[in-house]
Amino acid sequence: MKLVVAVLKPFKLDEVKESVKSLGCSGMTISEVQGFGRQRGHTETYRGAEYEVDFVPKVRVEILVDDHEVDAVVDGIVEAAATGKIGDGKVWVVPIDNAVRVRTGERGTDAI
Amino acid sequence: MHSLLLASVPVPYPSWLNTGDNTWQLTAATFVGLMSLPGLAVLYASIVPKKWAVNVLAMMFAGFSLVMVAWVLWGYKMGFGSTSLGGGVHNGVQTQLSGVGWVKHFFENFVGKPGQIANSVSEQGRAVSAANTAIPFHFPTDTLAYFQFVFAAITPLLFLGSVLGRIKFSAWCLLVPLWSTFVYCIDAFLLWGGGYFAQEGAVDFSGGFVIHMSAGVSGFVAAWVLGPRLLRDRQHFLPNNLVMAAVGAGILWLGWNGFNGGDPYYAGADAAAAVVNTNLATAAGVLTWMLMDAWLSKAKKPTFLGIVNGMICGLVGITPSAGWVNAWGALAVGIICTVVVWLAWNYLSKVRPFSKVDDALGVIYTHGMAGLLGGLLVGIFADPNMIEYGCGTLGPNGQVVNTSGAAYATTSAHCTPFSVGGWLYTGSFHQLWEQSRAALFVIVWSALITFLIMKFLGLVLRGTRYKDDVLEVGDLAIHDELAFPEDTGTLIGAGSPAAAQVEPVADGARAPARRRPAMLGPGVWGSGGGLLAPGSVGPPGPAMA
Repeated sequence: MKLVVAVLKPFKLDEVKESVKSLGCSGMTISEVQGFGRQRGHTETYRGAEYEVDFVPKVRVEILVDDHEVDAVVDGIVEAAATGKIGDGKVWVVPIDNAVRVRTGERGTDAI
Repeated sequence: MHSLLLASVPVPYPSWLNTGDNTWQLTAATFVGLMSLPGLAVLYASIVPKKWAVNVLAMMFAGFSLVMVAWVLWGYKMGFGSTSLGGGVHNGVQTQLSGVGWVKHFFENFVGKPGQIANSVSEQGRAVSAANTAIPFHFPTDTLAYFQFVFAAITPLLFLGSVLGRIKFSAWCLLVPLWSTFVYCIDAFLLWGGGYFAQEGAVDFSGGFVIHMSAGVSGFVAAWVLGPRLLRDRQHFLPNNLVMAAVGAGILWLGWNGFNGGDPYYAGADAAAAVVNTNLATAAGVLTWMLMDAWLSKAKKPTFLGIVNGMICGLVGITPSAGWVNAWGALAVGIICTVVVWLAWNYLSKVRPFSKVDDALGVIYTHGMAGLLGGLLVGIFADPNMIEYGCGTLGPNGQVVNTSGAAYATTSAHCTPFSVGGWLYTGSFHQLWEQSRAALFVIVWSALITFLIMKFLGLVLRGTRYKDDVLEVGDLAIHDELAFPEDTGTLIGAGSPAAAQVEPVADGARAPARRRPAMLGPGVWGSGGGLLAPGSVGPPGPAMA
């Protein structure tokens, strides 16, 4: 079992969601986050004063995936999310020790 | 026979009361009141970071309330009472217009005798004040008192913008009534209540000097004595909600129709002119600041908060002259005041002493400088053909009869129309001179008394600024409230939600006694009613209205 985590540009969320659904994934969790990598921040101006904002709004997608499906899911996310411009984000894979479905109590890969 | 019957129909108004004038005056007053609550309250609370929003709102509502009580108990009579301390103004009559040395003239026409207007006679009798010596008022004391109250109330709320983010709540609650009494009431009597500067010929249509310039200077001095916000706050002071800021700004703009439209004290042509002039100057201010941001600022982009600043500059700039300039003058005033303040905001702010004083919202520029400039521009742009009070004839029932437009505008044996003439029309600098004298006094008096009050409060309260550990937290440390709480808090003393449920019973076992949830009495809500206590579970209590 693995957790695929992707930090992406917010406007790419719909495409990524459709891509992942078409691969058969049955769920995901998203959160609105802020971050920066090589993408530089920006300035905002309020009342004539300039503020430096390092962080850029991003979306974090987390999907529990069975081992044999990980590569397909990661490729699907990357293909859907890429724009070719700086700030596209990153995807990483985390090993998972266990998972449980809350409603039924199923454990392990049955929980995915 | 028929007309005799009509003449004896009972009407619930004394003959001096004109229902149109009374209606407009009370309506205008309500508009101005809305400019404070919620207008300014919401505007300021939205342009500070989240952690300061509640503190701003609390100081706004408390300040408004403090002035209201002081006003009825002593303030109104100080600013607008019919008799001055020293007697220069007596029963609404200015007795020392000539033949008196300037020292006596000044000190005996300095402020009204303090007193209450709380009893029925004071409240409902005809308004009498040397504020309007040309013609008597056609509404009761309370109408004039409430109208003037809302102006008195908004003034300290304006300079809250200079001291927010670090002033002690207790210091604010003492500063407001003291400042209102010893600065505002005195300035008001001198310029509006028929006092010295009014008698000398200085004018201030709705408060460019008395309200805005005074607030700007006082806020600046208070901020200087108080000390700055936390360093981190000064580096991170982003607004928390520009959409709500727009709500506040919109109410401020349109509420000003009452601010300037109500100051002729009559629901006549000059009120209408004041409204149009106000909106025109404001629109000019908006567009001027917007364009200067787009063309001249570092970012070269028009900004919404720049638009709001321009709006304020136009509103403040036209306030001393709204009913005395024509529309060309209003346009000129709006543009000139905004250009000057934009330059001051962006350049003067980097130079001492402005760079050394933490006037958090820049009140010295948008209110202090715009008010001063607007008040001086009366001496340039006031058009003597913009008549504030003309010569009409009243019938026995107190209503206007047989007055043509021409007759209204013409001097007669017993009446001279009142208007103000600026240099552009009269070629004389006299009005500008009178404006300058009054401005100098208001600036010096506001600065001096604010300084003394702040020093006094510093002694009495052992400092007027919160310690840094309180400032780091903000609202939660001062009020136990957050403006935008998460719903993760639990009501103290309620017990767990599970206690309210009946537990499932196994076959044959006796049902366990049902545990009742703890009584949710008033004590459970915590100090201050806990209206916004995060995560309240349980039935809504009275505080949740």
